[in-house]
Amino acid sequence: MMDVCLWWRQPSRMVDNRRTKMSPNFRWLLSVLTLLHLIMQINSQKRGVLRDLKCTTNNLQVWDCAWKAPLGASHGTVNEVCIEDRFHSCHRLEKTNIKIPALSPGDHEVTINYLHGFESSPSKFILNEKNVSLIPDPPEILNLSADFPTSTLHLKWNDKGSAFPPHSDAVWEIKVLRKPSMELVKLMSFNTTLSGKDIVHHWNWTSDLPLECATHYVGIRRYIDCHHFSGRKEWSDWSLLKNISWTPNSETKAFPQDKVILVGSNITFCCVSQTKVLSGQIGKTFCPLIHLHGESVAIHIQNISVSENSGTNVVFTTEDNVYGTVVFAGYPPDVPQKLNCETHDLKEIICSWNPGKPTGLVGPRNTNYTLFESFSGKYVIFERFETLTNESYQLLFQMLPNQEIHNFTLTGRNPLGQAESTILVNITERVSPRTPTSLKVKDINSTVVTLSWHLPGNFAKINLLCQIEIYKDNSKQELRNVAIKGVEDSSYIVAVDKLNPYTIYTFRIRCSTETFWKWSKWSNEKQHLTVEAIPSKAPDTWREWSSDGKNLIIFWKPLPISEANGKILSYNVSCSSHEETQSLSEILDPQHKAEIQLDKNDYIISVVAKNSVGSSPPSKIASMEIPNDDLKVEQAVGTGKRILLTWHHDPNMTCDYVIKWCNSSRSEPCLMDWKKVPSNSTETVIESDQFQPGVRYNFFLYGCRNQGYQLLRSIIGYIEELAPIVAPNFTVEDTSADSILVKWEDIPVEELRGFLRGYLFYFQKGERDMPKMRSLESGHSDIKIKNITDISQKTLRIADLQGKTSYHLVLRAYTDGGLGPEKSMFVVTKENSVGLIIAILIPVAVAVMVGVVTSVLCYRKREWIKETFYPDIPNPENCKALQFQKSICEGSNALKTLEMNPCTPNNVEVLESRSIVPKIEDTEIISPVAECPEESEADPENHVVVSYCPPIIEEELANPAADEAGGTSQVVYIDIQSMYQPQAKPEEEADIEPVVVAAVAGYKPQMRLPINSAVEETAAEDDTDKTAGYRPQVNVNTWNLVSPDSPRSTDSNSEVVSFGSPCSINSRQFLIPPKDEDSPKSSGGGWSFTNFFQNKPND
Amino acid sequence: MDLRAGDSWGMLACLCTVLWHLPAVPALNRTGDPGPGPSIQKTYDLTRYLEHQLRSLAGTYLNYLGPPFNEPDFNPPRLGAESLPRATVNLEVWRSLNDKLRLTQNYEAYSHLLCYLRGLNRQAATAELRRSLAHFCTSLQGLLGSIAGVMAALGYPLPQPLPGTEPAWAPGPAHSDFLQKMDDFWLLKELQTWLWRSAKDFNRLKKKIQPPAAAVTLRLEAHGF
Repeated sequence: MMDVCLWWRQPSRMVDNRRTKMSPNFRWLLSVLTLLHLIMQINSQKRGVLRDLKCTTNNLQVWDCAWKAPLGASHGTVNEVCIEDRFHSCHRLEKTNIKIPALSPGDHEVTINYLHGFESSPSKFILNEKNVSLIPDPPEILNLSADFPTSTLHLKWNDKGSAFPPHSDAVWEIKVLRKPSMELVKLMSFNTTLSGKDIVHHWNWTSDLPLECATHYVGIRRYIDCHHFSGRKEWSDWSLLKNISWTPNSETKAFPQDKVILVGSNITFCCVSQTKVLSGQIGKTFCPLIHLHGESVAIHIQNISVSENSGTNVVFTTEDNVYGTVVFAGYPPDVPQKLNCETHDLKEIICSWNPGKPTGLVGPRNTNYTLFESFSGKYVIFERFETLTNESYQLLFQMLPNQEIHNFTLTGRNPLGQAESTILVNITERVSPRTPTSLKVKDINSTVVTLSWHLPGNFAKINLLCQIEIYKDNSKQELRNVAIKGVEDSSYIVAVDKLNPYTIYTFRIRCSTETFWKWSKWSNEKQHLTVEAIPSKAPDTWREWSSDGKNLIIFWKPLPISEANGKILSYNVSCSSHEETQSLSEILDPQHKAEIQLDKNDYIISVVAKNSVGSSPPSKIASMEIPNDDLKVEQAVGTGKRILLTWHHDPNMTCDYVIKWCNSSRSEPCLMDWKKVPSNSTETVIESDQFQPGVRYNFFLYGCRNQGYQLLRSIIGYIEELAPIVAPNFTVEDTSADSILVKWEDIPVEELRGFLRGYLFYFQKGERDMPKMRSLESGHSDIKIKNITDISQKTLRIADLQGKTSYHLVLRAYTDGGLGPEKSMFVVTKENSVGLIIAILIPVAVAVMVGVVTSVLCYRKREWIKETFYPDIPNPENCKALQFQKSICEGSNALKTLEMNPCTPNNVEVLESRSIVPKIEDTEIISPVAECPEESEADPENHVVVSYCPPIIEEELANPAADEAGGTSQVVYIDIQSMYQPQAKPEEEADIEPVVVAAVAGYKPQMRLPINSAVEETAAEDDTDKTAGYRPQVNVNTWNLVSPDSPRSTDSNSEVVSFGSPCSINSRQFLIPPKDEDSPKSSGGGWSFTNFFQNKPND
Repeated sequence: MDLRAGDSWGMLACLCTVLWHLPAVPALNRTGDPGPGPSIQKTYDLTRYLEHQLRSLAGTYLNYLGPPFNEPDFNPPRLGAESLPRATVNLEVWRSLNDKLRLTQNYEAYSHLLCYLRGLNRQAATAELRRSLAHFCTSLQGLLGSIAGVMAALGYPLPQPLPGTEPAWAPGPAHSDFLQKMDDFWLLKELQTWLWRSAKDFNRLKKKIQPPAAAVTLRLEAHGF
């Protein structure tokens, strides 16, 4: 036995030694192993005697040891248990367990001895605390209650801590089961520390499924970890289950009711129903039903979205009814933003804020705000049924007297949470006064007024800063700040100085505090006219002698309002000489001049302006004018609205310079205005709104000496020069065959509008109807211009003109401002008699020559003529054949010719052949003729007059190619040219010209040759020999076949311009010969009238 | 709920006519005493106008209640709204009503419905809805006055409201939000039915009391509906 004990002890000692180092788990494991070993030892020693001594405790005070009775021991067997402790007590008992007080640490020998029916073999055990298990009693649930609206369970139990040493750790495990399957829906544990006293603990749990929908059961157990106890510690048993169930009422069957939840959370709704639920929906969405028990169902919503104003409806439909609930998904209040507190009057604080993000909850679930002031402990509440949109919220807080610093906390609350923001303000620094009222102005004197106004508010402890805006007509507004001691609900008054007399001012005022926060709004404006003062300056005066030199006219300028200081009522003019002072009568205001009859003595004139308060200082001016012999009139031109005048400094001029000016067209004494310049100046710019461009002004510079004024310079000038508005009047003084003398007049100054710089004279051949303006502008080469820069010149002779020619004359004047209008005139030069004589004589001489030559030829060839034109004709009556013929001729032509042979003389045959030859020629000519619109192809008889198609004058005039300037005189040219110059052919007709050439290459009547040859010399020299003179009719067939459409036409010599074509006469183009050098000119010279007429204009 | 544009102008014109004539309701103007005929016609017109007005109000309000209340086929059993005066009545019973009883029932129903509507107005969360409800309440008040005028013209006394009845009609906070919505739904529905019934009631009354010629002209006037 000892060895067993020793064995037991040794390890235990070892364990003891290492206790401090070992972890509790390891110790526990070790003790279990030891105990097992011990039991095995016992079993092996005492086979079938006593087994399994097991000790537990539930409170560490009493150990309950039990063992299994030996086999065969019946109930009632007495045994004796002796424990070897301090008292070595023995107990007789009939049970197999014994409760013993807790033993001290260390091994204790327990001897159990069965007394009856067995051999007395005491079983010995070594009992140690380590072998004892601590199994606490199950906890007792004091109360289980439920808050159905929130689906929360409240559990309450007593920890019975008094049964254990203080500071023992207790671990609690709570389970929640749900019917019908009693599934475990929640198991959770938590630790407490026992205090040595009985403490009631609480535990809350919120169910995801509304508690109404299923019965929930709750159980609890515990584990006590007592540090002083070295034995095993085990979980207690579960307590008795307590349940929570809902007793249905008649109305509500869907749960949870009216719940407010956070957007995005998950929620389960259930419906308790006795009948079958057909569907469950949230809003418009139908959800799958989850069966709970009986007919009760649930739906699970994930990630719920924000609700409408009246909440989101959840509806369960049964066969005969509809059950529903409303859920409100929203957000907790946002942190109030831009919280700001200020006061208007230091009586009431206005705090305003922005609610931030909307919560989605309205009505009774809307956010309510509490404004709490921590120093005073006062608060105000903001409640509003309706959510304000885009509006800042505000609360009024009544100030406590003498409290300046305020610490405000604004808390927004709704069922989902709360948010707050704080602000610490010294309210005297956050004053935004109300708008000042009752602004009044009172005069002190002409430059000082007082302003008074009312400002509500308790400002007695602070200083106000007010800003006065002073606005004067036509000037910038002026702001003046004034600091005023604040008072309570009172009026304030300040003086405003440095004002101008007799001026309308507009005042308004706004206020702030010295510790500036915000300005109040501007008060209403108040207009005030300051009182008058005496005029501050003397009027600006000037004097002029009247034209007769007897009267002196005094001019003065009205005082500007800033100097008049009131309404000027009158002026006093007085003149004084060395002897006397003469005062003239008062001159009332609108008049600003006075005329005094004076002798030429030296007078001093003084002018004083008066208003209702007093008189201005006098303005004095000497009457005497000092003559200046050395005076020249100069010219000056200004720029825009001003003109610069300069002069040399004159040390003699002691007082000032005066420049006066007037319109030069006005009569004397002329005065528009004057300007005084200090005596040290040498230039000034004269500027006046009265100046107009193109008007001549006279400027006079006077220097002032003690005695009087001396005219220093006289200047005529323009502000801006313009072109003359009229043309100079001109007349033709004399006309000859080759020259014209023109004379013109001056232009009046008013119409000249600038300094005259010269004249421009244009002349050109031309009739009255010619468009003259165009030709002037385009600078036509025909126009000749003479620029006359000597403006004193008034006549001009134009030479080298042609006789009996109409000339267009134009005269314009010009200034630096531009050219004036033109004046034009048409003049016809006188006739050139020599030219006329030649023009008559040459045709006469030519006609005579032609006549003579014809006569000579006729005379010489008279025999041939006679034979040709007057042959001897045999008498037909002698011919028998003709008698026969008479009956036969009406049948066939063939017969006729056969019959005629024997009796027809040769002469008759000649006549017939001659009539054929022109026919052949004519057929050729027809082709070009076809180009003539008037010509008819079907009329071959007309060919005889083809060469002289009469020109149609109307068409020529309508021809767009014809120069419009041509006029009637052109018609004359056309006639002449069409008669004598058929070679003027348009280029585009070149295609058909070869045909004509071909025709020309054949037979030509000799009378045409001179015309053709003259033209062809210039156009195609090669052809000259071919066409000159008579040509035999060679190769008749060749030219007979050529037609305009034939390709051969292009083979012909295209360089040859068509001449003599009948068509050319009728052509509508180029009937006026071009004037350029390339145009064909007659080289024949002498005989052509055309040349005569053409050459002349080119002279 | 859909309404043609032409109809609205007709309605407006009729409303103007009705409102213009309201001061001349015979109840208030007994001196001329043209008989109860015109005032019955006016009351009839007013019921028709209120029917139209209710259509637009109900649309707005049911949308405010949210689905499924604004779904056309939503037809829940009438629960909890027992306090509302029922308009539905057996046809035989309705025919057998005398004029006084008929008018009294109308008057009582609208008094209660008006009271209930005002409670609705207090709860509505949006300002626009409250304005619409207030406008309708005013019109309904006009109808009540009109019925009172007809009763006075016919010499019937007005039913006295029972003392302490008023608060019972006010919606209490005990209801859940869903049941409250159901009540609101039924209120609108009952109101609709009552307006139909009233139109029938007044048409019957009109035929009974008015000479045929006058009836023709007044019917034409009401044709705009």
